[in-house]
Amino acid sequence: MNREKLNIFLFLLPGAGFILFFLSSAFVLTILQSLGLFALIGESHFTFDHWKMIFEQEFRDSFMFSLKVGIGSSFGTLLFAYPIALFLRKKGFGKKTLGSLIKIPLFIPALVVAFLIVNLISYHGLINSIFMGLGIIDEPIRMLNDQFGWGVLFIQIWKNIPFQLLIISSSLATIRDDLEDAALNLGANKLQVIGRIIIPLSMPGILVAVILVFIMTFGDFAITKVAGPVYPTSMSVRMLTEAMTFQEWNRAAVMGVVIMATALIFVTFYTKIAKILQENAK
Amino acid sequence: MNLYTEQVLKRRRRIIGIITAFFIIMQLLWIFVPVIFAVLWSLVDPDNPWSYPDTFPKVLSLAQWKYVFEYTNILRALATSYSIAPLATLLAFVLSLPTAYAIGRKQFFGKQIVSNLILLPIILPGMVVALFLSRVFSMLGLSQTYIGLVIGHCLMGMPFMLKILITSFASIPQDVIDAAENLGANTWEKIRHVFIPMVLPGLFAGSIFTFITSLEEFNLTFVIGTPTFETVPTILFSFLGYHFIRTNAAVVSLILMIPNIIMLLVAERMMKTDYLSASLGKM
Repeated sequence: MNREKLNIFLFLLPGAGFILFFLSSAFVLTILQSLGLFALIGESHFTFDHWKMIFEQEFRDSFMFSLKVGIGSSFGTLLFAYPIALFLRKKGFGKKTLGSLIKIPLFIPALVVAFLIVNLISYHGLINSIFMGLGIIDEPIRMLNDQFGWGVLFIQIWKNIPFQLLIISSSLATIRDDLEDAALNLGANKLQVIGRIIIPLSMPGILVAVILVFIMTFGDFAITKVAGPVYPTSMSVRMLTEAMTFQEWNRAAVMGVVIMATALIFVTFYTKIAKILQENAK
Repeated sequence: MNLYTEQVLKRRRRIIGIITAFFIIMQLLWIFVPVIFAVLWSLVDPDNPWSYPDTFPKVLSLAQWKYVFEYTNILRALATSYSIAPLATLLAFVLSLPTAYAIGRKQFFGKQIVSNLILLPIILPGMVVALFLSRVFSMLGLSQTYIGLVIGHCLMGMPFMLKILITSFASIPQDVIDAAENLGANTWEKIRHVFIPMVLPGLFAGSIFTFITSLEEFNLTFVIGTPTFETVPTILFSFLGYHFIRTNAAVVSLILMIPNIIMLLVAERMMKTDYLSASLGKM
């Protein structure tokens, strides 16, 4: 190793090395413990036994619930964030104010967001009161701790719109105006410009935005614990119960591996689909 | 023809203006209604409870605030939160500086991989990382310790610090450095007159992000700190989860939220570049 390389290595060590040391050891430990190795208490031996839990009904329910929340929140947020990003793309009077207003939820901690929205959607909360007052419904709708998880979805979407908006906006900003003008001059209408030029070119931004929100919401603990149903619980809630309440660290590790693997599979799968769509658009 | 297009453009601009105004009003409702309700809940008078079907509380008082400060651990939690945050920020800064310099200014094999790997703490599912980091921490004897919390919070904030510092280092024009060298500047002078002034805004932004990340950090604190240490988020969680006391939760929510918003508004005023997009946008 020559001197320059050694220097760079030494420079990378404190920052990147620090992060990698802790994360990779946590990562390796999770995998080893899911295979029965490295138990801190009790005996350890290699076994696939702990993996049998993935056939349990409760595990499946939790997995499906988390998957629903993850997909629902990531695409549900996109449904709001993408049109807003398109609208804010061109400069205009008042749009800067609008842009900074939209950003506000980004600065509010997740647990506080949960509390803010809980007040609105609770049984006697604002939304139910308004609907009852207007005579739209006769009885309050149960939106909090409901079986489906509408409360969780509401909170996640409220919280993640600005996050996706930022990512998508910066990817929209890289699209040059002359492409759009050229298409318009050649007789394309607005919808065609959006469908054929803007969406395909902003695909990288959409990808990152959806993937990050999926990973965050699929593995969410706090918001589901506060606003989610009593049963099924999310993957992370169940994982923590296994570890902290029952001290079943091997089972918790299996769940940890499943959460990370699902995130990884989602990333690969979704990237592939997006690529195919992008090719077709061309 | 010219006149005609001008009229069309004018009308179009007006329509867009109306849509913008409509969105602004919607957005104000979407954000401020929940916040106002939290404020109202924190001001409910204990002797005149706010219950269905009252739309607004009948009497407002500061009794809930007094209660939270007198009978809960909020003061100790505030002390813990606000002492961990600066320490974690300082540690993150010291550790990030050399790495950010190398990634921002040097060419080396595997640079892209390293710049993606440093984002892992915010990309990996938070609770999985927290739970198994707690195992690593207990092996190292850091679990349930103050130092452990500082290291954990630093780890969670470092991706922001690194990302922003890398951008700052990368944006220093090479000619400025060359010019300084041509004028006979030694390494120390280069650091003092070129690097420090040009990295300072990024350092400021990165510090605010790390500070706020630390104040908000819940997963890791909950797993490695509870029950020895309580921070503001873990107290809020106990009010929301285990025994839901809406008025107390309202007070703690505001204690957690208001400083963040003030800090970020100040930061945004003071910085010319949009660091928020710089740190999140180009992930």
